[in-house]
Amino acid sequence: MSQPSLVNFIVKRPWLSKFMKPLSNWYANAAGYRKLGLKADDLIPEESETVLLALKRLPPKEAYDRVFRLRRAFQCSLAHQLLPKEQHTKPDEDVEYLSPIIRQIEAEAKERDDLESLSLNKRK
Amino acid sequence: MISRSATGRNAQLALRRQCCAKPTNRRGLAAAVSGSTSFSYDSADVGGVKVASRDVAGPTTKLAVIAKAGTRYQSAPGLTSGLEQFAFKNTFKRSALRITRESELLGGQLNSYHTREALVVEAKFLREDLPYFAELLGEVISQTKYTAHEYHEEVEPIIKISQKKLLTNVSELALNSAHGLAFHRGLGTPLYPSSSTPLTKYLNEESIAEFSTIAYAKPNIAVVANGASQTDLAKWVGEFFKDTSSSAAALTSEATKYYGGEERIAHDSGNSLVIAFPGSSSFTSGSSYKPEIAVLAALLGGKSSIKWSSGFSLLAKAVSAFPGTSASTTHFAYSDAGLLTIQFSGSAAAIRSASAEAVKALKTVSEGSISKEDFTKAVALAKYRALEEGQNIESGIVATGSGLIHGGKAFQIDEVAKSVESVTADKLKAAAKSLLDGKATVSTVGDLYVLPYAEELGLKI
Repeated sequence: MSQPSLVNFIVKRPWLSKFMKPLSNWYANAAGYRKLGLKADDLIPEESETVLLALKRLPPKEAYDRVFRLRRAFQCSLAHQLLPKEQHTKPDEDVEYLSPIIRQIEAEAKERDDLESLSLNKRK
Repeated sequence: MISRSATGRNAQLALRRQCCAKPTNRRGLAAAVSGSTSFSYDSADVGGVKVASRDVAGPTTKLAVIAKAGTRYQSAPGLTSGLEQFAFKNTFKRSALRITRESELLGGQLNSYHTREALVVEAKFLREDLPYFAELLGEVISQTKYTAHEYHEEVEPIIKISQKKLLTNVSELALNSAHGLAFHRGLGTPLYPSSSTPLTKYLNEESIAEFSTIAYAKPNIAVVANGASQTDLAKWVGEFFKDTSSSAAALTSEATKYYGGEERIAHDSGNSLVIAFPGSSSFTSGSSYKPEIAVLAALLGGKSSIKWSSGFSLLAKAVSAFPGTSASTTHFAYSDAGLLTIQFSGSAAAIRSASAEAVKALKTVSEGSISKEDFTKAVALAKYRALEEGQNIESGIVATGSGLIHGGKAFQIDEVAKSVESVTADKLKAAAKSLLDGKATVSTVGDLYVLPYAEELGLKI
């Protein structure tokens, strides 16, 4: 279950993307997850088969880093503190690492559904 | 009254309608089938890929890619098994699921397996679907993605299960051990990685992908078809095997040398004893083929070829006194060596006595005291087996493919028969004598307290 997004729609239109970029940067910073050292993809709910499978398919290093970020964020949250400024997630580090895998799994599932409900036109 | 001509006409129409109103989802049989009944393969070279086909008349075709990448040639343990399991997985053009569903719709069957020398990726299908499956095989060998998640989710578990399966199979263990003793490296590599092989060190999706570029390179593969015309096959292979890598770095293995020796493995779930001697290489290898070994294998035998009789073979006679044991002689022929094995299975005590009898039987052959009748029967059986192997689609395809990639010739059935017929009793005696004079290979798996040592059987190690 990747997050719904209008990214493709906006990116295709340069004028719109020019307008939206500062807005999105402002939103991402205001959402506060970066101040806890998280990335946007860490916020995707895990309670679905698709995401669980995607998490299994993460390369070992990425999976380790993800768990580290989550535990650090829990700790901060319990202590009612934010990370020191130098440990905040920088905008260029805040990249998709899980969503591509989720999209791939969704595409597989869609293909399976399509093939299962396929109707045949016989060769004449 | 209804006139006769009217009913007749209606009946005719109804009949005609019936035959025309075929259900739309029914496929017709392959229409005009060209083809001959010849059992020899025509071979050719299409854009660097060796292609052979046998145009046997019939509505089905079997197409196989045979790569010189069996366990003998693998550069690290388990690579061949890994590559075999990666056949028909996701490619850059379509997903594994789509491959499966599409071939199901066409009624095709896909399969991949390996022997000690060859890795075979094959498809069986209706004759008119040749272009589709030629494209599929070309895609599988050149465009497979080798993704990490498929390796972890599908390939690795199967390899682990096959390791466990091997561990419980006493006769496989004994045969692998005999090959290891006889040939050490190369041909001696076990057919499937044993459970204690450190696979994680050698096997991952990257090493398999790297192995595939060499294993499936043009000089290393042969495309063999049974039931397709040579012109069609050459046309489609020329079109769909263009992307195959043409890397010059071929997989190599040292020329096989026979060593021999003894190995004893304690095992709780059964007993097996393998006595092996150096055999002859396969027919397709050319000069080092010795038909007398095939005749000797038929003469020693063990398993009866007809029902309700223990058969004429020497081992069957020797073993019949020990109920519960079975003995069988098999000749494993490879491109540059062979292994003649006599395998016993059953209770440990019975194997102990039966194997001693078997060695005695082999000694009688080497002394030349076999009846003329037995000899004639053995030659006939050996000839039948050789011809059947060539006629059998499965083994014929592998034999031909291996012959082509090892630079030999395609399996030509008429010549095999002639060479088996040329064996004389003297040649057979000499062959048996040289086996007994040389070093034997003995591998014992099971209850070692009872099972005999090679020394006790009177064999030289």
